[in-house]
Amino acid sequence: MKGNGDIRIGFYICHCGTNIAGLIDVARIAEYAGTLPGVVVARDYKYMCSDPGQDLLREDIAAYHLMRIVVASCSPLLHEQTFRRAAEKGGINPYFVQMVNIREHGTWVHDDAEYMTGKAMDMVRAAVLRVYAHQPLERKQVPITPDVLIVGGGIAGIHAALTMADAGKHVYLVEREPTIGGHMAQFDKTFPTLDCAACILTPKMTAVKAHPNITLWTWSEVEKVDGFIGNFTVTVKRKARYVDEDLCVGCMECIEACIYKQGKFPDEFNMGLSKRKPIFIPFPQAVPPVPVIDPGQCLHLKKGTCKDTCVEICADRKAINFEQEPEYKEIEVGAIILATGFTPFDATRIPYYGYGKYPNVYTALELERLVNASGPTGGEVRLPDGRTPERVAIVHCVGSRDEHYNRWCSRVCCMYSMKLAHLVKEKTHAEIFNFYIDMRAPGKSMEEFYNRISSEGIHLVRGRVADVYPETLEKKTNGQIGRVIVQAEDTLIGRIRKIPVDMLILSTGLQPRIDAEEIRRMFNISCSAGGFFLERHPKLAPVNTFTDGIFLAGTCQGPKDIPDTVAQAGAAASEALALIDRGVFELEPNTAYIMEDDCSGCKSCIPLCPYTAIAFKEEKQKAEINEALCKGCGTCVASCPSGSIRQHLFEDEEIYREIRGLLAYA
Amino acid sequence: MNETIETTQTAQPWRPRIVAFFCNWCTYTAADLAGVSRMKYAPNTRIIRVMCSGRIDPQFVLEALSEGADGVLIGGCHPGDCHYAEGNYKALRRFHLLRRMLIGMGIDEKRFRLEWISASEGDKVKTVINDMVEQLQQLGPLDIPARRKAWDVELEEAKAQVPRYEEFEEAAHV
Amino acid sequence: MLAGEEVIEQMWGVSLDRLYDSDEGQRILSCIQCGTCAGACPYGEHMLYPPRRIITMLKAGLIEDVFDSDSLFKCVNCYTCMTKCPRNIRLTEILLPLVKEQSAVRLEEMPAELQKAIENTYRYGNTYGESARKRAAWIETIEVPIRILAKDPAPVDILWFVECDLSYHPRGQAAARATALLFHLLGLDFAILGPEERCAGDCGRLSWEPGLAETLVDYNLSIFDKYTFNRIVTNDPHALDAFKFRYPMFAFKHKTTATVPELYAHLDRLKPMLTKKLDYLVTYHDSCCLGRHNGFYDEPRALLEAIPGVRLVEMDHNRENSICCGGGGGGMWLDTWYKQQGIERLSDRRLREVIATRANVLAVACPYEVSRFEDAVKLAGYEDRIIVRDITELLVEAIGGH
Repeated sequence: MKGNGDIRIGFYICHCGTNIAGLIDVARIAEYAGTLPGVVVARDYKYMCSDPGQDLLREDIAAYHLMRIVVASCSPLLHEQTFRRAAEKGGINPYFVQMVNIREHGTWVHDDAEYMTGKAMDMVRAAVLRVYAHQPLERKQVPITPDVLIVGGGIAGIHAALTMADAGKHVYLVEREPTIGGHMAQFDKTFPTLDCAACILTPKMTAVKAHPNITLWTWSEVEKVDGFIGNFTVTVKRKARYVDEDLCVGCMECIEACIYKQGKFPDEFNMGLSKRKPIFIPFPQAVPPVPVIDPGQCLHLKKGTCKDTCVEICADRKAINFEQEPEYKEIEVGAIILATGFTPFDATRIPYYGYGKYPNVYTALELERLVNASGPTGGEVRLPDGRTPERVAIVHCVGSRDEHYNRWCSRVCCMYSMKLAHLVKEKTHAEIFNFYIDMRAPGKSMEEFYNRISSEGIHLVRGRVADVYPETLEKKTNGQIGRVIVQAEDTLIGRIRKIPVDMLILSTGLQPRIDAEEIRRMFNISCSAGGFFLERHPKLAPVNTFTDGIFLAGTCQGPKDIPDTVAQAGAAASEALALIDRGVFELEPNTAYIMEDDCSGCKSCIPLCPYTAIAFKEEKQKAEINEALCKGCGTCVASCPSGSIRQHLFEDEEIYREIRGLLAYA
Repeated sequence: MNETIETTQTAQPWRPRIVAFFCNWCTYTAADLAGVSRMKYAPNTRIIRVMCSGRIDPQFVLEALSEGADGVLIGGCHPGDCHYAEGNYKALRRFHLLRRMLIGMGIDEKRFRLEWISASEGDKVKTVINDMVEQLQQLGPLDIPARRKAWDVELEEAKAQVPRYEEFEEAAHV
Repeated sequence: MLAGEEVIEQMWGVSLDRLYDSDEGQRILSCIQCGTCAGACPYGEHMLYPPRRIITMLKAGLIEDVFDSDSLFKCVNCYTCMTKCPRNIRLTEILLPLVKEQSAVRLEEMPAELQKAIENTYRYGNTYGESARKRAAWIETIEVPIRILAKDPAPVDILWFVECDLSYHPRGQAAARATALLFHLLGLDFAILGPEERCAGDCGRLSWEPGLAETLVDYNLSIFDKYTFNRIVTNDPHALDAFKFRYPMFAFKHKTTATVPELYAHLDRLKPMLTKKLDYLVTYHDSCCLGRHNGFYDEPRALLEAIPGVRLVEMDHNRENSICCGGGGGGMWLDTWYKQQGIERLSDRRLREVIATRANVLAVACPYEVSRFEDAVKLAGYEDRIIVRDITELLVEAIGGH
């Protein structure tokens, strides 16, 4: 291996407080780096990413005429851009920087200090050798299409859409259900303020519909996503609604006129607690206020035999169209915000809570509908047999914090359980028992809310419910039919409590949507261990994904309450705005290129490229790479038999130097 | 080899060294996640970042082994999850061919491993590396550089048997 | 709650001072004190130290106090706490046996019935105190030819490990005869150890006598070594547990299954034989070891449903949420002791659920259960309304002509 000749290299190792220096001997590593060929200055510093740290780089570049920089610190995925910018400000090409990841891949995962110090030296050596071969590169810019796609019309999607639209950008808001509103539309009141969800949500929903910059497509799904940051091509399927949105005036007379005089099918919006007709609107304030026909239930669509009373009443408005076919729209957008939300945990998965088995066991979302004035009972909390419950138990953490189901804390259940306790108590004067493991009330006004509700005289039992069974099975009491015993250890008094209740409410946690995996693939982003979409950095890039131009908002990224969802939606919107307003995006210059003289014209690279960036030029009998299409995976580079395809930033020579440097055989 | 570069681990007893090629989007990120989650695992791996497992030239693997690695680990996105659509399939094909070749060369197949590790599977980085280190510990050093020295001696001896060897060599360099 | 091999290995040789050395042991530290274990425990309300408090005491360095209590004498090894634990702490496998052992050492006087059972097992290799020579006496009561390996040591496919209850207890023998007949009709190649067989030792271990358990393991392993066979089938889910989770620690490598899944594997051939219609409303009681610990929930139900005329109803607690009959963990020999303490027997509690289903047959798959539930039925005065049958007995009844 050649020495580094006359290339002058600066080496910096970061203490990262004690994150790195707490384990390994940074001074010794710096000293060692100083002995490596080409290294003219080697320093250790407390925080390289800080302003003084970056200043140090710039000053050294001038003072020592540095031509290359190696920084041993954290992951390049975190701070590579930081140090490239610093190098650029110092007057050298930004791609003359190489990072050594001794934190995430070093001190955070190993605890043998001596060995790790040696390993860090290996890594430093590799980087010093590699950086020598770095080539100056130009940043490449691509223009950004100014329109944006937002997937999901819950509160996150709505807020992001309004923010972007108000800033003058054109927004396509795509929602799978017949209306926007999401889960928030189903809630009765919201904690900690106890204001009514509909009162604060529906004005925003109408604003979406009225906004000139928003194209709202409900009953629609994204089918296909192509392209990349600034230039996505998205295909949206508009499912057949059988009611023409442009012609419908929202009078709802068709629903009234339907041949089914009564609701016959479980009403999804009311969690199946009421029945609806085949032609329906999820709830009165739905946006758009256009009914939808379920083709599996409508007599005309299913059997072709119906008096078509809906068509008759619609008369010359002619909004009902049984011939409607799904429509496919292709749009060009520069950025995408995913706001696809969550699914509540399926309570039937925990057999010992009796959901689906005992009729008086409810999920929290069902209760939201039951206490809601526009819900199936007009806001009266009644049991299936018509009685008003006298004793009610609320079980926290259903499906959450559990290795068998979801490991995470769902974050909102403690507070919504307290809210439900308040609402049910207010409406029924029932005795309420909240069974909790730990009461979690972080966030503004939450502890005060907890304090307020607990002072209302509910029983707080610290213990996870372990069993639910009919009271009739209990020997000691005269079991009342229809009541269930809730059995748990009250850990604060150290006794097993068996509390008979009329109604049991399961505070089910939040989990990723069933099809999150498919969505993830379609948009080419990653998921966290639990299946929520993965943000680029948990703290510093919480709404970005690893795919540039795609942002996250709301509970698709992880459980959160409404204030946090809205805050995140705003953040996602402003990130997208910042991108669009810049007008161009800088691509990592890691594209492949061909050394034409060496190319034998064998064409083996051409079918390998997933982006059809390689073409064969007949006149020259050589392959040619369109760098605008190349995404820089390097697959063609590795497969070229004559070695004539190379990749910027990942040149063979650079990688060989890294390998040799790492191993520098003893 | 450049004499000016000193090795850093002479004093230590032998511990297997693995060169790992991780793709930027899944496995490298997973290794970062393992770090952020402070999972402790065997420190014997040296990771080289590439954009895609499809970038990994079989020559890289051979180079690593010949420079003294006791094993090579390739990490890529799960099938169907490749950031570049299908680079990992290319890696898989190359892996199988190369593995066959390495086995033919007398290198134990446990020394060369391909794993699909997604960005969220920090724990898999830990288990895979621990497992591989344990296997390599049992296999002992591969130590091709030392063998190369022995081969050099053999070559020197062979030269002596070739009349006018220097002339051939010069001719070959022209 | 099925344990993979890597988990099983971690249960071996764990002692209290090395509790956190294994990953599974370390899980104890992740306890969030939610009390699910205590709340789920069928006797939790009678324990001063249910599992949750044992963990607190352990962490506080006060575990000695727990050893001095009789709390774990009420542990029936039903695996409920372990199955429901949201932290997946393997209480019944790792922590509780260790504490039990210590409690037994401190106990001034072992409850007499249990003491007797342990002594019997030491002396005779069975809890009944019957002569080992009579272990195969039951085969005289059936016309099916049954090979005893000591007399005919040729290699065999199935070593049928009959266990004590099926060998000696009159109701157990009925299940033994039924099983033998079913194996015979299915043309299975099987043989028994006869007088050479001794208790598998699971009850011994769980009743706080690890020394006894190890003696039995050593003995049985030496007998297994004498013969060539492909696998072991046993009617006793506790023996299945012993072979699957305890014996491998002593280099035992034989495949083992229980009679129920074995019969289920031949269901397509068995079904045509079930010609007699049984007009029964059946409820099935899940055995803890067969169900919760080994995951056989569907197999026993499929066998019952294969019987013409049988209608299956479920109790409120079923499958992984089933309630123990109270016989495990030594509970079989603690009924008197429970009575003295004023604690309701679990079999009596369970019977209330049976009654609630209005079933006229209670089907079981563990030899403890027949006698326990028949006793409970008598006590409740339901003898004319509910009969208790082992699944094998019901199958034989449906075959007709036998």
